[in-house]
Amino acid sequence: MKRCIGVAVAAFSLAGCKAPPSLPAAPPPFLTVEQLAAAVAADARLSDAEGDSKIRAQLAADAGRNAQACLEHAPRAAACLYYDGIALGLRARAHPLQANEALKAMLELLGRAEAADPEYDQAGPARVLALVLVRAPAWPLGPGDAEAGLASARRAVALRPQYPPNVLALAEALAKTGDAHGAEESYRRARDLSAALPPGSDRDDWLHEADQALRRMPSH
Amino acid sequence: MSTLTLAALATLVFCAPGYPGGSGDAQPFVDQFAKAAAASAGWKSDSLAAIYDPTEQGGLAKLGDKDAVLAFVPYAFYVQHAAALHLTPLAQADVAGVGTQERWTLVGKAGGPVTGPASMTGYTILSVAGYAPEFVKHSALGEWALPTDVKIEPTGQILSALRRVASGEPVVALLDQTQAAALSTLPFAAQMKTLTQSAPMPVALIVVVESRLPEARAKAFQAALIKMNAANGGAETLALVHLKGFVMPQLPGNAGKP
Repeated sequence: MKRCIGVAVAAFSLAGCKAPPSLPAAPPPFLTVEQLAAAVAADARLSDAEGDSKIRAQLAADAGRNAQACLEHAPRAAACLYYDGIALGLRARAHPLQANEALKAMLELLGRAEAADPEYDQAGPARVLALVLVRAPAWPLGPGDAEAGLASARRAVALRPQYPPNVLALAEALAKTGDAHGAEESYRRARDLSAALPPGSDRDDWLHEADQALRRMPSH
Repeated sequence: MSTLTLAALATLVFCAPGYPGGSGDAQPFVDQFAKAAAASAGWKSDSLAAIYDPTEQGGLAKLGDKDAVLAFVPYAFYVQHAAALHLTPLAQADVAGVGTQERWTLVGKAGGPVTGPASMTGYTILSVAGYAPEFVKHSALGEWALPTDVKIEPTGQILSALRRVASGEPVVALLDQTQAAALSTLPFAAQMKTLTQSAPMPVALIVVVESRLPEARAKAFQAALIKMNAANGGAETLALVHLKGFVMPQLPGNAGKP
């Protein structure tokens, strides 16, 4: 029973990577690194909102193709390493039985992306690394490691303290490692930062996430 | 309550404190298991509902509901609550990758001061089974006479617990078989030592709660569970919840009795 639950829980959201405009599913050969990266981000956003497992599998496959095309263009670019990691996360969600292998590879790619450009996508490599480490099944069932996730989240916040998803990731990591007070403070900060932004769907999503989490906190 | 009414209301509560996974993650799998098990027992397919709860308190609350006639629980939970909840073992799970029994292993810091139970004064035992102190003291560590000031704490973060052990904090970790087998994969494995190991004991049980299931129906359900892995599609359904099947319960002599 415990292993089944461990595998099932590998299906986590990657919300927090900013969604650029949608692009065609198949990667034409003339797309730039930026366009291919944006295509993977669009797949990730669509997958987060998709309930149909077959469509999620298609989006994961599309993201994988775009990420591979990106890496062929620029194998050391932070964007390609980062979005190849995101694409592997989509694959882990679409194919739970392959989740552990995909998540391990994802962690390795995100680490390389962070080394190449830690500030990419508002400190995205450290932020997504944190979310994977916090949400993935922990040792010995999977690569999850809440303490390492907390360290990653702190790096993301140190680089981009005003970006709400970084603060949300820190709040989640604090909650997972048992610091309920710190988590509540961070969720409040994330809510305040989000509320100060111009109206938009990302802002609404971040506000919603912070509010939902605050409602679940012990002090409420 | 008539058998007919009971059949329509019966619930199987899956309770797995300390292990990962939320209710939403596991619910589709336990639904499918309950449906298949009911069909295998000759019950109406919708006569047995299933519900999953990853917390001890949540599981206890659900077991307090009169519709909760059956429960799937770790052996530690059984030892802790068997007497109070009048849990009667019906079948013992054969867990994929583990088996029908497992040993629990107490690990401490290599070269550290803990060499036996008497040297654990002031120490804390961290474990996924820490919610069940009766199990820790009298089953997993039944052969170790723990000092009275030893604390027992639950943790879902066993990796953090092992780091604390390795760093020399006054803590030891009680590991299940899966965790103990993976210990060598940790980069700081050399800083750990095995202090003691339990006798083999059940991994998980399906139990009747408070005699809420009439004996004849309990027997039918027990027979269905034992043969479930041989039934058409049974192995696939069991695999969804990472089980290989069930055997008749074989409890150690010191297990809690209702």
